[in-house]
Amino acid sequence: MRMYRRVGASLRRTALHAGPTILGIVVLNFLLLQLVPGDAADVLASESGTATAEGMAAIRARFGLDQPVLTQLMAFLGHLAHFDLGFSPRYNMPVLDMIMSRLPATLMLMLTALSIALVLGILMGAVMAAWVGRWPDRVLSVVVLLFYSMPGFWVGLMAIVLFSVHLGWLPSDGNMTVGASLHGFALIGDRLKYLVLPALALASFFIAVYARLTRAAMLEVQRQEFMRTAQAKGLHPIVVQLRHALRNALIPVTTVAGMHLGNLLGGAVVVETLFGWPGMGRLALEAVLARDFSVLMGVLLLSSFLVIIANMLIDLLHAWLDPRIGAA
Amino acid sequence: MSVPVQLDQGSRAPARRGRRLRAFARNPAFVAGSIILAIFVLMAVFADVLFPGDPFDMVGQPVLWPGADPEFPLGTDSLGRDVLAGLVHGARVSLLVGVVAAAIGLAIGTVVGALAGFFGGWVDTWLLRIVELFQTTPTFLLVVVIVAIGEPTVQTIAVAIGIASWPTVARLVRAQFRSLREADFVMAARSLGYGNIRIIVQEIMPNALPPIIVAASVMIANAILTEAGLSFLNMRDPNLISWGGMIGAGRDLLRTAWFLTALPGVAIALAVLSLNLVGDGLNEILNPRSDP
Amino acid sequence: MTSKFRTTRRATLLGLSALALPGIARAAPSRGGTLNFMQNNEPQTLVALTTVATPALTVSAKVTEGLLAYDYDIKPRAQLATEWSISPDGKTYTFKLRPNVRWHDGKDFTSADVAYSIQLLKTIHPRGRNTYANVTEVQTPDALTAVIVLSKPAPYLIKALTAAESPMMPRHIYEGSDPLANQNGNAPIGTGPFRFKEWVRGSHILYERNPDYWGQPMPYLDRIVFKFLPDPGARSIAFENGTADIGYRTPVALSDLDRLKKIPTLMFETKGTSYSYNVANLQFNLDSAIFKNAKVRQAIAHSIDRAAIVKTVLYGYGVISESPIAPGLKEFHDPSPSPYKYDLKAAEQLLDEAGYPRGANKTRFKVPLDYNPIGDENRRLAEFMRSALARIGITVDIRAADASAFVKRVYTDREFDFTLNGHSNLFDPTVGVQRIYWSKNFKKGVPFSNGSHYDNPKVDALLEGAAVEIDPAKRAAMFKEFQQIVAVDLPDINLYSPLYLTIKNRRVHDDSMTADGVESNMAECYVDA
Repeated sequence: MRMYRRVGASLRRTALHAGPTILGIVVLNFLLLQLVPGDAADVLASESGTATAEGMAAIRARFGLDQPVLTQLMAFLGHLAHFDLGFSPRYNMPVLDMIMSRLPATLMLMLTALSIALVLGILMGAVMAAWVGRWPDRVLSVVVLLFYSMPGFWVGLMAIVLFSVHLGWLPSDGNMTVGASLHGFALIGDRLKYLVLPALALASFFIAVYARLTRAAMLEVQRQEFMRTAQAKGLHPIVVQLRHALRNALIPVTTVAGMHLGNLLGGAVVVETLFGWPGMGRLALEAVLARDFSVLMGVLLLSSFLVIIANMLIDLLHAWLDPRIGAA
Repeated sequence: MSVPVQLDQGSRAPARRGRRLRAFARNPAFVAGSIILAIFVLMAVFADVLFPGDPFDMVGQPVLWPGADPEFPLGTDSLGRDVLAGLVHGARVSLLVGVVAAAIGLAIGTVVGALAGFFGGWVDTWLLRIVELFQTTPTFLLVVVIVAIGEPTVQTIAVAIGIASWPTVARLVRAQFRSLREADFVMAARSLGYGNIRIIVQEIMPNALPPIIVAASVMIANAILTEAGLSFLNMRDPNLISWGGMIGAGRDLLRTAWFLTALPGVAIALAVLSLNLVGDGLNEILNPRSDP
Repeated sequence: MTSKFRTTRRATLLGLSALALPGIARAAPSRGGTLNFMQNNEPQTLVALTTVATPALTVSAKVTEGLLAYDYDIKPRAQLATEWSISPDGKTYTFKLRPNVRWHDGKDFTSADVAYSIQLLKTIHPRGRNTYANVTEVQTPDALTAVIVLSKPAPYLIKALTAAESPMMPRHIYEGSDPLANQNGNAPIGTGPFRFKEWVRGSHILYERNPDYWGQPMPYLDRIVFKFLPDPGARSIAFENGTADIGYRTPVALSDLDRLKKIPTLMFETKGTSYSYNVANLQFNLDSAIFKNAKVRQAIAHSIDRAAIVKTVLYGYGVISESPIAPGLKEFHDPSPSPYKYDLKAAEQLLDEAGYPRGANKTRFKVPLDYNPIGDENRRLAEFMRSALARIGITVDIRAADASAFVKRVYTDREFDFTLNGHSNLFDPTVGVQRIYWSKNFKKGVPFSNGSHYDNPKVDALLEGAAVEIDPAKRAAMFKEFQQIVAVDLPDINLYSPLYLTIKNRRVHDDSMTADGVESNMAECYVDA
C-alpha cells in the first residue's frame, strides 16, 4: 500500500513540476531559434535553384514567417494548447505526422542500443568487480577504456569497413529492404540485419559507461557492512554478489541510463546520419539545416517529455530497488 | 605508543602536499595518461616546426597508402595532402576546442552551482529550473543550433560546446556545496564574520575542487568528441584542419582508402583516452573514499 | 532552333511517328522488374509545381507528364501533345493533344487540364512565373486542342514543355483548392506510365506500372523504388552491391569514379544531360570596397587556371567555360569571350596599379570567400581558390555556412565580397542566364538573382531583346555580344560546366533517351530479367 502512495505522490509532484518546465522549454527554445539566421523560405528557394521574390513572399505568408516573433510564439502556443504541432514547410505535412513517422525507428535503435549496453556493461562491470585486480579486470578495463574513448561514429565507420565492405555480411545504410514484402521471421531477420551495426556503434560508448559504473558501485558496496553480514549468514558468494551487490550497484547505473534515455532523441544524430537511419536525430538535424523550426520545436518538445518520463521511471525504479529511498 | 595528533592545519600542509605529489607519480593510470597527453600537447605546440607550411597544401600524389612513399609516412588524401601533417596540425584545433569549451562550461557551471548550492532556497530553485531547461534539450542539437546561429569557426564551436555542457558541472558543484556548507570550518568562518563571497571562494571552493578537477578532464574529452562529430557532419571551420574534419573528408573513400578515416579516429581515441586516464588517476588520488 | 515553318511540318511528322512507334529500339525490351532509383536527397513534394529542386523533378515526371519531350538536341517530340505549331509572329502556339488519355483516377485528360496547368505554372511555379509571363490566355476550342496566346514572343517557350519543367496537372483535383497545400503533391494523380503507390518518409517512394497507360506496351518496368542516400560513400556502396540500379548527376564522389569504372556490372552514361547545364562561377559583390575596383577583378581573372581546376577539383569531369552560357548550348556559347588569360605577372601588375602592393609579409590584403554549400565540389573549389590567390599575394579566409545562412549572407544582407556560386542554364539562356545579369533582377533576398548588383544598360537591352527575338540568327548574335561585354566587365568570373554522369547497373536499358535523361517519364526504360 505504501508503495502505491509513494508512486502516487511522486507522479503528482512530477506533473505539477512538468507543466511550467515544459512551457519554459518551449518559450526559450523558440526564442533561441529566432536567433538563427535565415528561414525556411530561403532554404526552399536555394534548393530549387530558382526563386522569385513573389514566390518567397508567398511561402513566408503561408507559414506566418513574416510575422513578428511574439505573434509567431503566441500562435505556436495556441496550436500547442490544441495538441497541434503545426505544419512543416519543408516536408509539406503536419509536424505530428512527420515525427510519428520517424519515432519508431529512433525508439528501436536507441532502446536496442541501451539494452545491449546495459546487459553487456553490467556483465562486464560485474566480472571486473568479481576479479578485481587480477587479469580479467585489467584486460576488460583496457577494453572498456577504449570504448569510452573512441568516437561512436568512428566505431560505426570501422564496423562498416569490416562487416559491410570487406565481409559483405551486413548492410551499411537504411533500416529495411525496400520493396520486398516480408513476413514473420523473414521480416524480423531483415530488420535485425540493418539494426546491428548502428545499434553497436551507438552502444559502444554506453557499454563503457555502465561497465565502469557497475564496477565502481559493486566494489563500493562490497566494503559496506551489510555485505559482511550476508557473508556471515553463510550465503553463497554468488548469491551475495547478485542479490545484494548488483542490486545496489544498479542504482547509479539506472540513474545514468535514465539520463541517457532522456537524451535519446538528440544523442543518435551522428550515428543516424552515418547509417542513413530514418530517425528523429537525423530529422532534427535536417530541420536545423532547413530552418524548419516547426519540426525542430516538435522534436524538442518530445525530447523534454521523454526526459520527464524517464526521470519518473527512474525514481520509481529506485524506490523498488532500495526501499530506503522512497521513504525519504 | 601514540603519536601526538597535530591539530594545526597549516603545518600539516607541506607534508600532505608532498605525499600527494608522490601519490600522483605512483598512479600508473595518471602517469600513462599524462605522458600521452603531453605528446599531443607538444605536437600541437610545435606543429609549425615539425611540419612547416600549410597542411592544406596539395603536396603529393593523391591517395597514397601509408608506407608507399617515405616522404609521406602516413599517406595522402584525395587532394594529395599529407596525412601526418594534418594529424599534427589537427591536434591544435581538437585540443584548443576541448580546453576552451571545457573552460567555458566549467566557469559557468561552477558559478551557477556554487550559488545554487550555497544559498539554497529560491535561488536554488530557480537556478535548478534553468539547469533542467538546458538538460532537457539534447546536447548535440543545442550545439548544432548555436553553431548555426554563428558561423562555423573554431571560436563559435568552442563556445557552443561550452554553453551546452555547463549543466553537468553545475549539478556536481551544487551537490558539493550543499554538503560542504554545513561543515564545521564554514561555521567557524561565519562566526569570524567572513562575508558570503569570501566563504564561497576561500573556504568551500578549495575543498570542493577535487571532483571538479576530475570533471574537467572528462569535459575536455567530451568536447573533443563533440567537435569530431560536428566536423564529421561538415560543421567545421574550413580554414583549419581538424581530426573530425579529416574523417569526414575521408569518408568518400571508405572503400579504397579506409586509412583516411581510421588514422584520425585513432588520434582522437588516443587523445581522449589519455584524458580519461588522467581523469581516472586524479579521481583515485583526490577522492578520499578510494583511500585504502 | 529551326524556323517556325519548318518546325510545324517536322514536328507534325515527328509527332505522328511517335504515335506509331513507341520505343524505336533494338531487341524487344523485356517486360517486368523493379528499378531501384537512387537519389541524393528526399524530395519535398512529388509534383514539380511549387519547387524545381532536383529530387522533385525526377519523381514528378514519372507520374505527371508534360506536353512534349525532347531529343538530345532539345528538338521536340510528342508526349501529351501530338502536333504543335507556332504562328509566324511567334505569339500563338497551337497544340493538338493525344486522344484517349486518362488520369490515374479514370477521368479524361483534356485541353481544360492544359489551360489550367499553364495558368497554375504561371502563378506559382518558380520558373513558370517568368517562362509564361507573356501568356495572356490559353484557349480550348475543343477538348483536344489547346492554344497558348502570348502578348510578346517567347522563343524559349517551346523548349519548356517537358514533364519535369511544365507538368500537366489534373484540373479536377486542383481546382478550388489552395495549390500550395493540395495533398496531390504527396500522392499524385497524373497521366504518366507509373502510378503512385506509397511514400514512407525518410525511407523510400514506390511507384507501380500504370496498366492503362496511353503508350502501350510501355512502361516496361513493373515498379520504380526511389531511395535517398545523402551520403556519397553510401551511394558508392549501393551501386557496388547492386542495391541501387541507377543514379544521376554523378551521384558518387568524383574521387571514386575511377574505381567504380573498373566494376563490370556498372555502366556510365553521358547522354541525357543536355536539358540543364550548370555553370560554376566566382561572383563578385560590385558594391564591395575591394571589388568595385575593376583592376582587382581583372587581376583575379588573370590568376585563375581553369584547366587546373577541371583537373584537380573535378578530376577531369568538366568543360572549361569562360562564358555564363554553357558549352553544351552550342548555338549560343562563345568559347573565348574573355580577354583575361591566365597570366600571373599581369595579375600582380594590375594589383600594384590598383593600390594593393605587397606588404611586409608578402601579402596584399585579406578577404573572405564564401561558397554555395549545395553540392560537394564547392568546398574543394574554395580551397583551390585560396591556394591560387595566395600566389598573387591575396590571403583568402574561407567562410562556411549552410544553405540558409548562405542565402541570407549573399542575397539578403549582401554582406560578402566574393563567393563561389553556380547557376543552371536550363534549356535556354533567357531562362537561366538572364536572371544573373539583368539589372531589373537585382532583388534582395532572392537566391540566384543578380547577386553582384551588375547594371549595364547595353546588356539589359541585349537580354531584353533576345527574350523576344524569334529570328534564331539574330538571337544568337545578341547573346554573343552579351557574352563578350560581360567577360570584359567581370561582374563574375565563369569557370566551368561540370560533366554529369548517370551511373547505372548493366541490366538497365533505355533510361536516358531524352535531353533530360532520367528526369523524363522513363516509359521506355527496361531492365533485364
